[in-house]
Amino acid sequence: MSSPGSTDIATNLNAEVHDAEQGTSLWQDAWHRLRKNKMALAGLFVLILLSLLALLTPWIAPYGYEDQDLLLGPTPPSAAHWLGTDTLGRDLLTRILYGGRVSLAVGFIATAVALVIGVLYGTIAGYLGGRVDATMMRLVDILYALPFMIFIILLMVIFGRNILLLFFAIGAVEWLTMARIVRGQVQSLRQQEFVEAAVSLGLSPWRIMRRHLIPNALGPVIVYTTLTIPNVMLLEAFLSFLGLGIQPPQSSWGVLISYGVETMEEYPWLLIFPGLVLSITLFALNFLGDGLRDALDPRASKD
Amino acid sequence: MDADNNKMLATKAQTLFHPIGFFQSMLSQLTLSQSMPRLLLVVLAALALVACGDRESNIEAGNREQILHWGNGSEPQELDPHIVTGVPEHHIIVALLEGLVAKDPATLEPIPAAAERWEINAEGTVYTFYLRENARWSNGDPVTAEDFVWSWWRGLQPSLGNLYNYMYFPILNAEAYATGKLDDFEPVGVKALDAHTLQVTLANPTPYFLQLLDHYSMFPVHRATIEQFGNPAERGSRWTRAGNFVGNGPFVLSQWDLNRVVAVTKNPNYWDATQVKLKGIRFYPTENASTEERMFRAGQLHVTGSLPSDKIAVYKDKAPEHLRISPYLGTYFYRINTTVPQLKDKRVRRALAMSIDRKQIVERITKGGQIPAYAFTPTNTLGYTAEDGFNFDPEAARALLAEAGYPNGEGFPTTEILYNTSEGHRKLAVAVQQMWKRELNIDITLNNQDWKVYLDSESSGNFQISRAGWIGDYVDPNTFLDMWIKDGGNNRTGWSDPRYDDLVLNKSPAAAVREERYRHFREAEAILLDELPIIPVYFYTSVHLTHHSVKGMPGNLLDYALYKRIYLQAGE
Repeated sequence: MSSPGSTDIATNLNAEVHDAEQGTSLWQDAWHRLRKNKMALAGLFVLILLSLLALLTPWIAPYGYEDQDLLLGPTPPSAAHWLGTDTLGRDLLTRILYGGRVSLAVGFIATAVALVIGVLYGTIAGYLGGRVDATMMRLVDILYALPFMIFIILLMVIFGRNILLLFFAIGAVEWLTMARIVRGQVQSLRQQEFVEAAVSLGLSPWRIMRRHLIPNALGPVIVYTTLTIPNVMLLEAFLSFLGLGIQPPQSSWGVLISYGVETMEEYPWLLIFPGLVLSITLFALNFLGDGLRDALDPRASKD
Repeated sequence: MDADNNKMLATKAQTLFHPIGFFQSMLSQLTLSQSMPRLLLVVLAALALVACGDRESNIEAGNREQILHWGNGSEPQELDPHIVTGVPEHHIIVALLEGLVAKDPATLEPIPAAAERWEINAEGTVYTFYLRENARWSNGDPVTAEDFVWSWWRGLQPSLGNLYNYMYFPILNAEAYATGKLDDFEPVGVKALDAHTLQVTLANPTPYFLQLLDHYSMFPVHRATIEQFGNPAERGSRWTRAGNFVGNGPFVLSQWDLNRVVAVTKNPNYWDATQVKLKGIRFYPTENASTEERMFRAGQLHVTGSLPSDKIAVYKDKAPEHLRISPYLGTYFYRINTTVPQLKDKRVRRALAMSIDRKQIVERITKGGQIPAYAFTPTNTLGYTAEDGFNFDPEAARALLAEAGYPNGEGFPTTEILYNTSEGHRKLAVAVQQMWKRELNIDITLNNQDWKVYLDSESSGNFQISRAGWIGDYVDPNTFLDMWIKDGGNNRTGWSDPRYDDLVLNKSPAAAVREERYRHFREAEAILLDELPIIPVYFYTSVHLTHHSVKGMPGNLLDYALYKRIYLQAGE
C-alpha cells in the first residue's frame, strides 16, 4: 500500500506524460484512429445493428419462435415468410432473430468471462513472476489437460442444465489461452523502462498492472477475443447438439446451421440463411478486431 | 425389442465439427495473411485430395468379396443375448448365434435351425427338439442339449437382470425360478434327454412358443467361454469381446471398434456353412440418419437402418428402386413414468394422449406411410385388433386436465420428454411439445441422450416421459401385451394392475380357442388404454434404403433378415 502522497504525485505525473505527448487520452486517440478505418467502422455498425435486432426481437419478430404450422411444412422464401419456413413450418426469420439472442449472448458473455479471468490471471502471473507465476501457470496447464467435455458434463450434472451456466462454463474454459497470451506479453513489458520508472515511483502493483501493463497488452488480447467469439458460438451449437446446451424449441445460429446441414439438399434455405448471418457476424467481428488492434496499439505510428 | 430408429452421437459430432473446422480455417486464413497465393495453395491441395479419393467403394468391393455393409443405427449396448433389449443388438446377435428354430424370411413360419426337427404332444405342452448332430460352436465344440439347458438357466438367473426373462415364462416353473420363489432349477420344464434331444414342458399350451425360440433371449451361449471370463450370472463380463466370443451362428465376431464398426466373418464350423454365401458383414453404428443416407449414396452401405423423413419423397421420385417401405410390426409411443407426481393421475395421462394430433404427425413429420395409433397392439396382429382407447379431442383433454386440478394448465409442473438422440425423434418431440403447449398450455422441456445412456435412464426410472418404440418379437398380440405386467423388465412405467396381470398371465394362456384368447387380450388392452401409462403415437413402417445388389432379403412384418440366405450380385 503506497502512501496518499505518492499516489497523487504518480497520478499527476501520469497525466503529465500523456498531456506532454499528445494531449488526448489513450481511448480518445484510439477512437480517432478507428474512425479512419472504414472496414472497422462498417464491422462495428453491423454488430450494433445485430445486437439491436437481438434486443428488440420480441417486438419485431413476425411470428413466435415455436409456432408450428405442420400443414404448411417447409416452404422456400415467400412474402409471408421472408426467409422461408423449416420442416415444422416455423418461420425461419423469426428463428434466426431469436437464435441471434442466444448466439450473441453466448458469444459476448462467455468471451467477456474469458477475457476478465484470463487478463487478470495472466497479468498477475506475468507481473509477479517467480514462484507465484510458476504455480499459477501450472494450474492453467492442469486445466488445459482436463477434457473440456467432461468438465462441461460435470458442471451440467451438478448444477443442472441452465443457459446462464452454459455461458459461464464456456467462458471458464476459454480463458486459459487468454491467460497464457497475456502472461507472455506482460513478461516482456515488465522489463521495459516505463514499468521500471513506475515501480521506482512507488506505484502499487495493482496500479501498474491496470494503468501500464494491461493497456499495452491489449493488442493481442483484442485479436484473440475476436477469434474467441465465433469459436464460442460454434461450441454452443456443438454442446446443444449433444443435449448439453440449449434445448428445442429454442435455437441459436449454430443449432440452426446444424439442422440445416441435415436437409441441405431438400431445403437449402435452412442452411444458407443462418450460415449467411453467422458469416456476416464473423466478418464484422474480424474487421472490427483488426481495426481495434491497430487503433489501440500505443506503439503504432502517430499521425 | 426396443426400437432406436429413426437414428444419431459419434457421427453427430463429426457433422458438427465440420462447420467448426471450416470456420476456424476460414478465420485463420483471414487473420494470418491476406496473401492470396497461400489461400490458392490450400484450395489446390484440397482439390488434389478429393481427386485422389476416387477409389473402389464399399459396395463395389463388397459385391466382389461378398461382404455386406449394413447400417445398424446405434452402437450396440452389449452383445450378450441375455442382457440386451434393442433392435440394433438383434441385427448383430442373429449373425453370431442361432436358436433352436429360425424364421423363414418370406413367410415368418418357423424353420429348423439348431434343431433339425421337433415334436409337439397332442395337448401342445411338451416340445421335443432333436438337435443336429453336426452342429458345432465356432471353436469346434458340439452344440448339445445340455448347452441349451445351461443357457436358459443363465437367462433366468435373477442376479443377471435379464429384462427379457419373461420370454421364458411359458415354460413350466420358469417364472417361479426367475423371481426367486424357487431355488432349485430341477422343476423348471427344460430337460436334456440325451446329448441331442431337448424336452421342453410348458405351463400352458402357447401357440407362439416356437416363435419365441428365435428370439435372442433364448439363444444358446457357450458355457466354457462365459465361465472363463467371469461369473456367468453377472453382467459386465468380457466374453462378448471380439476374439473371446464363441457362437453357434453362421458368422463369428472378428472386430468390435466402439462407435466405428462391428465386423463378423463367416464361421467355417457352422453346420450349414456351405449354404452361407456372404463372407462377412460389417455393421456401422451410424446414429445420424442423414449421414447414413450420404454413406449410402457414396456407396458405403448396402442397407441403411433408416431414412430421414424429408428424404422419402426425394427417393420416391428419383430412385424408387432403392427405397423399401414395408409394414412393420411395431408401435411408436411415449412411455410415462407414473411415479412422477403430476403424472400419477390417469386423467392427466389421458389429457396428454388426447391432445396429440397423430394424423398431422404421420402426414407431415414421419411421412413414411405410418398409421396413427389409438391402441397399443398394431392393427390386425395375427387377426387381433384392439378397440381404440381414446381419440384426438383437445376440448375433452382440457376438461380432463382441469378436473385433475390444472385448469388451463395452471400449476402443471414443467415436465421433461427424454429421447434418444436422433433428428427424427427430436422433430416429433418438438411437435408434441408444441401441441401440448397449444392445447393444454403446459410447459415441456426436451432432453436427448445417446442410446446406451437413454436405455439406462429409462430402465432405472430416471425419466418423466420418454420416447419409446416397441417392435414385436414374434407375430402375436402377446408380444405387445405381456410387457406391461407388474415389474416386467420392459414395463418401466411403474404402472401395474392386478386385473391386467391376471388376464395376460393366467386367463389368456389358459384359453382353449383363439377367439377366447383374443377376448382376454382385448379386455386387458382396454384396461391399458384406459389407464394409459403409455401414449401410443403411430404404428411403424420400416423404411430402408437397400442397394439392388442385395439379394435374398424379402421384406416382412418383423423386418427380419436371415443373413445366411442373403447374397450380393452386382450388375443388372
